[in-house]
Amino acid sequence: MRTTITLGLTCALLATPAFANQAPPYHDPLAGLVIDDQAGHYQFERSSLDALNVYDPFEGFNRRMYRFNAQFDHYVYLPTVRAYEVVTPRFVRSGVRNVFANLGDVPNLANSLAQGKIEKSMRTTARLLFNTILGGLGLFDVASKMGLPQEPEDFGQTLGRYGVPPGPYLVLPLLGPSNLRDSTGLVVDWSVEDAINYLDSRSVMNNEQWLYGLYAIDLRYNNDFRYGALDSPFEYDQIRYLYLKLRELQIGQ
Amino acid sequence: MPRFNGLLVVLLALLALKASADDFSYPISNALMATIAGTPQRLMAPVPSEADVRQRDLSVRVLPERNLPPTLSQYRDLHFRLAWQQQPAPLLFLIAGTGSSYDSPRLDYLKRVFWQAGMHVIVLSSPTNHDFIAAASRSGLPGLGREDARDLHTAMSMAAEKARHEVGLQVTEHHVVGFSLGALNAAFVAELDQRLGQFNFSRVLLLNPPVDLYTSIQRLDSLARTRIDGVSDTDSFYEHIFGKLSRYFAEKGETDIEGGLFYGIQSSDQALTDPELAMLIGAVFRFAAADLNFMADLVSGGGLYAPADERLKVSTSLTPYLRRALFCDFSCYIETQLWPDWSSRNADKTIDDMAWHTSLRSIENFLASHSGIAALTNADDLILSREDYDFLHQTFGERAFLFPRGGHGGNLQHQTVVERMLSFIQGE
Repeated sequence: MRTTITLGLTCALLATPAFANQAPPYHDPLAGLVIDDQAGHYQFERSSLDALNVYDPFEGFNRRMYRFNAQFDHYVYLPTVRAYEVVTPRFVRSGVRNVFANLGDVPNLANSLAQGKIEKSMRTTARLLFNTILGGLGLFDVASKMGLPQEPEDFGQTLGRYGVPPGPYLVLPLLGPSNLRDSTGLVVDWSVEDAINYLDSRSVMNNEQWLYGLYAIDLRYNNDFRYGALDSPFEYDQIRYLYLKLRELQIGQ
Repeated sequence: MPRFNGLLVVLLALLALKASADDFSYPISNALMATIAGTPQRLMAPVPSEADVRQRDLSVRVLPERNLPPTLSQYRDLHFRLAWQQQPAPLLFLIAGTGSSYDSPRLDYLKRVFWQAGMHVIVLSSPTNHDFIAAASRSGLPGLGREDARDLHTAMSMAAEKARHEVGLQVTEHHVVGFSLGALNAAFVAELDQRLGQFNFSRVLLLNPPVDLYTSIQRLDSLARTRIDGVSDTDSFYEHIFGKLSRYFAEKGETDIEGGLFYGIQSSDQALTDPELAMLIGAVFRFAAADLNFMADLVSGGGLYAPADERLKVSTSLTPYLRRALFCDFSCYIETQLWPDWSSRNADKTIDDMAWHTSLRSIENFLASHSGIAALTNADDLILSREDYDFLHQTFGERAFLFPRGGHGGNLQHQTVVERMLSFIQGE
């Protein structure tokens, strides 16, 4: 009796590989989920409709600006960045990046202080000192290598921190998604940089205006966003929500 | 003797265990995770950087008579991506999956794999993607195997011709590779081409194909109806996820929305649960379904979403149409748009007949009898039912490359998987 069983098992085991050709066994990843039938809870629908409720009174203007930016990006901005990549070696590009980033740490520091973030302010101060002195006026980001990555803070975040609501959604020329609060923040940050004129940067840039062009190219070179990347005719709607949430996350830190 | 037999059984059992305890180094055993997270950097097959690829985006006007409103004017021409060699080489067509275009990151990676191996590569959007529907779908209603194959075949011919014209492409032979729905498209294109004799594909590779499209669609649709603990009937699922993200960043003390973020979250207290992962995947596909519903309706003049007589300007808000389209999943697309059109042309047939014509089962003989066609998928691919998986295994036999883990396309950048693809495409 036992022989018969074992023989049978042997045969079964011998037969299995011939049939299965060693295919890994099927596993249904949906098996453990509780799935509502059609008349369900509308979780997806409710959440998605909610995400489309963004205050956007200037939508017509914004959509036109969004399209303009996409076209500008396609025909002017990105080709310029590609040319920049061709004519400059990588170490030059990262040097340019580091110099502008170092200057950017001035408003980062101002806004950290304005939000009473003492430790962050100290880290950003240390970054400014290390990168300016050891990093050759910011040419090298030595601070990041020492474990002090850049921690961006802008005036839009500061306003958000103190409870200022985002206000109407705005698509800015060339700069893209923003809102009234963050656009105001941009202007303030720009004025702060002007007023502080760290390392004479603004005076130099005003005398050598091509540097603003380089600044714009560097800005795009370091931004991975691509128009059309969301693969949707509704990209405008999706970006509008994602921008709002991204800013909320940044303000929450 | 009985004792000997018993020993034999134990030995055989051990052997069988060894055969199933695989040496596949892809680490993520949770299929939902794998689908989202992809392959960890250290296990990826190395490819050149995008900047080092000799490539260009080109476009062709496939349907000169198509009239699109201003807001969609950028889709008048069908855009595609060409990476080419300077000497004669095989030309490989790469077809994107549901809701993906020719410039999606997954396809850029695969493009570099084949380009690095010495092939010309032409990357095309999925026939279900909004740009293809607008520029190259004759009916405007994608989702039927044979009709989509015809549209694709036309687009491929024109794209190859354009490439010859623009960069002097010299082609020695043709291959076609598709991912997901694009794999099903590739199979039908190959079947069509066998009768037309234009490309005479040497190799056809199906990466994570559905078998029965409508089965896969139902499985994807169901993901967006997953019940999630801790989200009530008035909460927003997205807010719930952003809440987790926000708490994760607070614990970590910094905001770094970069690669590796997902691995970071999944190893923290804020790790997403299986139902949440399922819902995320489901939501991504529902947005793709909304795009499809809106675009197909607009191009075919159905008037379900945007009124047929309204001219959509660049400044026109599309939000109200998205609001309506979000209610319609893939199954709903089939019921409200595809089926009414199909049944008007096939009066005495059922919806199951329509499904059959878009299933790999309808071209089973073709797939089984051609040694140049292979399928690569995973035992835990979420778009496959058990019957689908068995069908692939039985139909393709030796040419079914089945991996134990990877979810839906999560392991396509893994060294072993890439080697498998290349050795098939380049094999004699």
